[in-house]
Amino acid sequence: VRLSNEWTGRLLAAPAAFYMVAFFLVPTAILLVYSFWTAASYRIVPDFVLANYIDALTSPLFWRVTSNAILIGLVTAAATLILAIPVAYYLTYVSRSQAILYLILITWFSSYLVRIYAWRTLLGTNGLLNTILLQLGLVDVPVEAFLFSRFAVAITLIHVYLPLCILMVVSALRDIKPELIEAARDLGTGPLGAFFRVIAPNAASGLIGAFMLTFILVAGDYVTPQMLGGSSGQTTGLLIADQFRKTGNWPLGAAQAFIMIAITGLLYAAILIAGRATGLLPRRRRPAPHKASQP
Amino acid sequence: MILRLAVWLILGFLIAPIAIIVLFSFHASPALSFPFQGLSLRWYGELIGNVPLRGALMKSLVIASATAVICLLLGAAAALAWLRVSPRTRLGLEMLWLTPIALPGLFVGVSLLVLFAQAGVQLSTVSIVIGHVVIALPVLILTMRARLSLFDPSLEEAARDLGASQLQVFRKVTLPLILPTLVAAAILAFAVSFDEFIVTVFVAGTETTLPMYIWSMMRRTVTPLINAISTLALVFSILILWAAWLIAHLRRRSAIAARTSS
Repeated sequence: VRLSNEWTGRLLAAPAAFYMVAFFLVPTAILLVYSFWTAASYRIVPDFVLANYIDALTSPLFWRVTSNAILIGLVTAAATLILAIPVAYYLTYVSRSQAILYLILITWFSSYLVRIYAWRTLLGTNGLLNTILLQLGLVDVPVEAFLFSRFAVAITLIHVYLPLCILMVVSALRDIKPELIEAARDLGTGPLGAFFRVIAPNAASGLIGAFMLTFILVAGDYVTPQMLGGSSGQTTGLLIADQFRKTGNWPLGAAQAFIMIAITGLLYAAILIAGRATGLLPRRRRPAPHKASQP
Repeated sequence: MILRLAVWLILGFLIAPIAIIVLFSFHASPALSFPFQGLSLRWYGELIGNVPLRGALMKSLVIASATAVICLLLGAAAALAWLRVSPRTRLGLEMLWLTPIALPGLFVGVSLLVLFAQAGVQLSTVSIVIGHVVIALPVLILTMRARLSLFDPSLEEAARDLGASQLQVFRKVTLPLILPTLVAAAILAFAVSFDEFIVTVFVAGTETTLPMYIWSMMRRTVTPLINAISTLALVFSILILWAAWLIAHLRRRSAIAARTSS
C-alpha cells in the first residue's frame, strides 16, 4: 500500500511532534495546573485557588523585581536592536562578508557562562576597566558601582544576545530589495530617511520580532542578574528560578512565570498598537507575495 | 564610511571581552589586570590534574553526543516530513517545533522539573538529555529549514518514475541530498547541548556537567583557572562550528564538482 505524500509526511513528523508534546506542551500544562495549587510546609497540595496569583500581584517585592526586569529588558532589547541594525545592514547590502558572519556565529556559540564571567572580570573592583581608569588618573579609587548594578546586567545581556539579534535582523532585511533603497536615495532621501521610510516599515514585523525575542530572553535570564546584579539588579527570572531552586514554593513560582508571560504578551500588543498609531507599522498585514508555483 | 566604523566598533565590542579572557588565560600571574607580567601555561597545567573537571567534561560529552544523535533521528524524520506535508500542516508543525525557542530557557527548565516531579522520575543524565533535546531540536529544525527549501521534490518523482522502490528513492536520492545538512545541524545540536546551562540547572539533580562545574567555580572564587577552562571551551566551540561548516560546504562543493565533470 502506498500512502499519499501528505500522510507519509504526517507519519514521519509524528516522532518529533510527539516529543515536543510530551516534553514541552504537557510540562507547560502541568506548570499551569501547579500555579493553582498550594504549598504547605514543603508539600504541594492539589487545589484550585487563585492565592498564588494574588500573592504575586500584591507583593511589593514581586513588583519591584518585575519593574526592574521590564526596565532592564526594554533598555537591553532596544540597545541590542540599535546595535544589530548597522551590522545587519552592512551584511545585507554592503558586503556579504562571510568572515563577519562567522565571527558573529562564533561569539553566539562561545560559552554563555564564559561571556558573563568575562564581564565580571572587566567590571570588577580590580578589573580591567578600573585598572585602566586608575592608571589614566581619571579616578583615585576603584569604582565599585560598575559591578553589581543594573548597568552591569544590561551591558552583559547586550553582549550575550547581540549575535542572535543580528542574525534575526539579517533575515528580516533579506526580503527588502536593495532597489527600493536605491530608488529612495536617488529621490534625495538621506541614509536615515531611507532607513525610517523604506527599511523600517518593510521590515517592521521582523524588527519587532527581533526586539521581542531579545526582550523575552533577557527578561527570563536569571544567571546574569545572579552573577552581576547585586541587590539592585534583581529580575523576575531570578525570583522564579529561586522559587524552584531554594525557597521551594513551586506553585507561587509557577504563577509568577505565567504572570511574566502575560506581561510579555501585553507588551507585544502595546508595541503593535503604538507602531500602528505612529504609522511605523503598516496598518494591515500586506498579503504574502505569491510564490510562483513550481512546475 | 561611518557605517563601516560603527560595524567594526560593534564587532570589537563582541570580541574584546572574549579576547581578554583568552589573553589572561596565558598570564603568568593570577592578577586579572594590566600590566601584563609575562606568558605562561601554568593554568593549563593545573587543569590537567583536576579530576572533577575531567568527570564533568566526560559527562558533558556523553550528554551532548546523546542529544545530537536523538536530534539527528527526530530531525531526519522531521525533515522528510517537512518536504511532504501541505503548507498548512507545515505551519502547525513549525509552531509546535519552534515555540520553545521563543520562550526563556527558565520556563522550559521549571516545567520539565514539575513534569519529572509529578511523574516521580529521578533526575539523572537521562533527564538532562531530555531537556537538552527540547532546546536543541528547534535549533536543528530551524537551521535545516532554510536548506530544505532548496530541495527539489521532482528528483524523488523522477527516481520513482524510473522504477525505484520507496526505500531505494530514500537511500539513493533523498538521503544523500539531505544528509550533509542534517549532519551539520546535528553538530550544532551538539554545540547547543555542550554549552547548555539555564535548563540543565533544573533537571540535573546531583549530576555535574561542564557548564555547571564552571558555574560552581565562578561562584566560589575568582581563579585564573576559569580563564583557561573558558579558553578551552571556546576553542572547542569554534572547532565544532568549523566542522559543521566544513561538512555542509565540502559535500556541496564535491557534489557540484561531480555534476560538472560528468
